[in-house]
Amino acid sequence: MSVTLPDERPEALARGIGLVCRDLSFSYATGDGATPALSGVGLALPAGGSLAVIGPSGSGKSTLLQVVRGLDRPDGGAVVLDGVEPGAPRYAELQRATGLVFQMPEVQLFAATAREDVAFGPRRLGWTEAAVSAAVNEAMELVGLPEVSFGGRHPYSLSGGEARRLALAGVLAMRPRLLLLDEPFVGLDPASRRDLVAILERLRDDGVTLVLVTHDVDLAWRLCDRRLVLADGRVVAEGPWAFAPADLDLLAANRLRAPLLVELWRRLGHPPEDAPRTIEAAAEALA
Amino acid sequence: MRATIGQYYPGSSIVHRLDPRAKFVAVSALAVALFVRDSFAGLGVFAIAAAIAFGLSGVPPAWFWRAFRPLLWLVGLTFLAQVLFAPGEPFLSLGPLHLTWSGLETAAYLSLRLAVLVLIGSVLTLTTAPMALTDGLVWLGRPLRRIGVPTHEMALIVTIALRFIPTLLSEVDTIMRAQRARGVDFRSGGLVQRVRNLQPVLVPLFVVSFRRADELALAMEARCYRPGAPRTRLYPLRAGRADAVFLALTVAIIAAGLLV
Repeated sequence: MSVTLPDERPEALARGIGLVCRDLSFSYATGDGATPALSGVGLALPAGGSLAVIGPSGSGKSTLLQVVRGLDRPDGGAVVLDGVEPGAPRYAELQRATGLVFQMPEVQLFAATAREDVAFGPRRLGWTEAAVSAAVNEAMELVGLPEVSFGGRHPYSLSGGEARRLALAGVLAMRPRLLLLDEPFVGLDPASRRDLVAILERLRDDGVTLVLVTHDVDLAWRLCDRRLVLADGRVVAEGPWAFAPADLDLLAANRLRAPLLVELWRRLGHPPEDAPRTIEAAAEALA
Repeated sequence: MRATIGQYYPGSSIVHRLDPRAKFVAVSALAVALFVRDSFAGLGVFAIAAAIAFGLSGVPPAWFWRAFRPLLWLVGLTFLAQVLFAPGEPFLSLGPLHLTWSGLETAAYLSLRLAVLVLIGSVLTLTTAPMALTDGLVWLGRPLRRIGVPTHEMALIVTIALRFIPTLLSEVDTIMRAQRARGVDFRSGGLVQRVRNLQPVLVPLFVVSFRRADELALAMEARCYRPGAPRTRLYPLRAGRADAVFLALTVAIIAAGLLV
């Protein structure tokens, strides 16, 4: 990510945003009452950290992201951004610097050109046209859809993987410093997955705090240094990855498994926590 | 959003178990009788019958209230319009407004009629699953089929529409959330801004809907759906003794209401 472009982001946000969830609870109103989706969820993620939220379907992973982004108001508890409590003067600004990439985000593309769609968010932030256009160019470049060749394309003329990356660019153009992603790899072909992984690695290395909801434990292991296991809206494990027998049982009990590289390391007799994050690193270690 | 859609209240009361055709016919006949009859005694009979049907349905009054509340405006406005603009000898004049006994009476009739109509209509929709109601209507529309009206296809359209209302609402919810996350504020701004805010919602919604429709059509063809082909049902409608008793009772109630 180039840093020479005009940036209207306050200096304080130039790094990642730390995230603390304190005792979050949330219920969906249903016909005759409320269905609890989150109960007493707590987590702490330092600025620039990366957290994989894993757990079976219906465990509250997506709801957690919605609540963290402020689209759903928690019934109890608080989402603390960079140490700032909700309601404090700087909170809204931090919330605006929190990007949420929805499941199948390409469904939400609506503008007549790719450029216009990516520019939508920055314009909403009230940036000058110069800043908007710089942010659009930067975001489109970052996701591998350079503005010069893709800017004028109609969003619906893009391939599935390209549309997914364009939708991601629409969020990245708002320069989020905490990025929440809901199942970003679903439905992508292997090449598109690899592209997306590379983009997320660049963002992470750039200091953006990442929260990744996924069923793919291998990509979770590759991209995130911590993990949160949710089951029935409750946290059953939170912190750095751990693969003691009890941890493996816990993963299995929640319809998950250890990442393949971790399993390989364990079977080779190495400490599983030392397992490499990528195939390349594994090949190097084994050579 | 995740609202409960439609007004069906699942249950197994005696009213729920009646044949949808019998219920539909009874409600239609009562609706006609309601507007034919011009006496409080007659309307009272219908109101009491409707209240009993409602009581037997086991539907919590809160559900009925939910169906009724949006129509309160209509009832209120009708009442006011009748009271204020009916001709006759005024017994009270406030500036340009004249209250007449006949106006008051017509207003009371009309409001009572509307209220009873909403009540019996609600009993029908609250106790009959949309699918059963559609099936019943198709059966009742069979004579139209002979003159070339595609009743089955129309029923299919209604069924699919009903089936997709919750899906589309949840789609709207997701799209609105996504655009809110991109800075759209749907709750503030002038009328023009609010209408403009709909564009990022409506465009994706249309695209998704057309894609869904296309997929559904393909899936139906893949399962050998052929428009106009004769259909069979897994659960054919079966009217029983209870329905005969119910219809006889309805006739009796209508007769009583028209004669008292």
